[in-house]
Amino acid sequence: MRQLTEEETKQLFSKLANYCGSAINNLIAPPSDEGVAADRYVFRLHGNRVYYLPLKLANLATSVPRHNLMCMGTMMGKFTKNTGKFRLNLTALDIIAPQARYKVWIKPNGEMPFLYGGHVLKAHVARFSEDSGEHQGILVLNMADQPLGFGITARSTAESRKLNPTDIVVFAQADAGMYLREEDSLFTT
Amino acid sequence: MAPIKGSSKGASSVGGAKKPPSSASRVSKSSKKDVKRPPPQEVKAKSRSAPENLKKTKKRVYTEAELDLPKLNAITPVGVVKPKGKKKGKTFVDDEEGMRTILAMVNAEKEGQIESKMMKARQLEEIREAKRKEAEARHAKKKSKLEDAKDAIRQKKKRKSGDDKPTEPAPKTAKGTSKPPKEKRKSVSFA
Repeated sequence: MRQLTEEETKQLFSKLANYCGSAINNLIAPPSDEGVAADRYVFRLHGNRVYYLPLKLANLATSVPRHNLMCMGTMMGKFTKNTGKFRLNLTALDIIAPQARYKVWIKPNGEMPFLYGGHVLKAHVARFSEDSGEHQGILVLNMADQPLGFGITARSTAESRKLNPTDIVVFAQADAGMYLREEDSLFTT
Repeated sequence: MAPIKGSSKGASSVGGAKKPPSSASRVSKSSKKDVKRPPPQEVKAKSRSAPENLKKTKKRVYTEAELDLPKLNAITPVGVVKPKGKKKGKTFVDDEEGMRTILAMVNAEKEGQIESKMMKARQLEEIREAKRKEAEARHAKKKSKLEDAKDAIRQKKKRKSGDDKPTEPAPKTAKGTSKPPKEKRKSVSFA
């Protein structure tokens, strides 16, 4: 387990910025409530996976041998082996959800197709964030404001209004159904 | 013959040498012949293994730039240039300040990208809109033209049905029976 290098931090932030915009600031330094200094959160690399955890926990984790340490905090994603790019994992959903910049709300009839790994169709969209561009990271929520997953917009908001009902609006990247579908491989190192 | 000559000459010269010569001539002669030198002593060259010779003279070391080697011949590939004097290993970023600066950089980059993307999309949208309007206008024009043509035909037909009775008998009576209507049909077929 170690801190991230400059290059790695850059990669991580540029990926997160796709979904959160400048709200990543809140991840680095969570806003303190009523004068009580909030615990600082840090990113740590273990193997090729990045975890997000309070500094206190990270310090405790140093006392565990590397081979015995399976994971700590919340896994954000992992760096690819050859190209060193960062892949955001489903487990980061709960962290990026409050900070997300663009959101799409899907109707109840679209929830199941999405949770089974399908893309979001125009017919399933109930609401859509304004002024989102093409190929922008976007969070998928149901009508009760529960985050279901995230993806990439297929078209800009203006263009997606003109699409047919069966056209894809958001390409799914991760959905909560992966917890079951990829139960075996989600946490294996 | 020659030996005799030489001997006589040599004798005379020997005799001349015995005289006390002038200073200039003596100098010149002494430098050449008669001055007795100490027997030549052998100057020993110092052996190569002598400590002075063993000391290595510092040779000039050329830098790679001075050698002016073609880049492809060098040992290090062109793409791989290791920064000199840079510390090995990773530089970690763990303090909040460092993270903030990186975040600011990334954000600025992303904002720029998004902005340019949106600008591009907007421009494309404008172009598309203009094209659509143009196409619509063209379509409307075509349609109106068609309508006009239709109206013209209708009016003609009406006129025919209305005016025919008084006018028709005259041409029919004047010309033949089948030719005039055929010509009229031709003129109609432009649409």
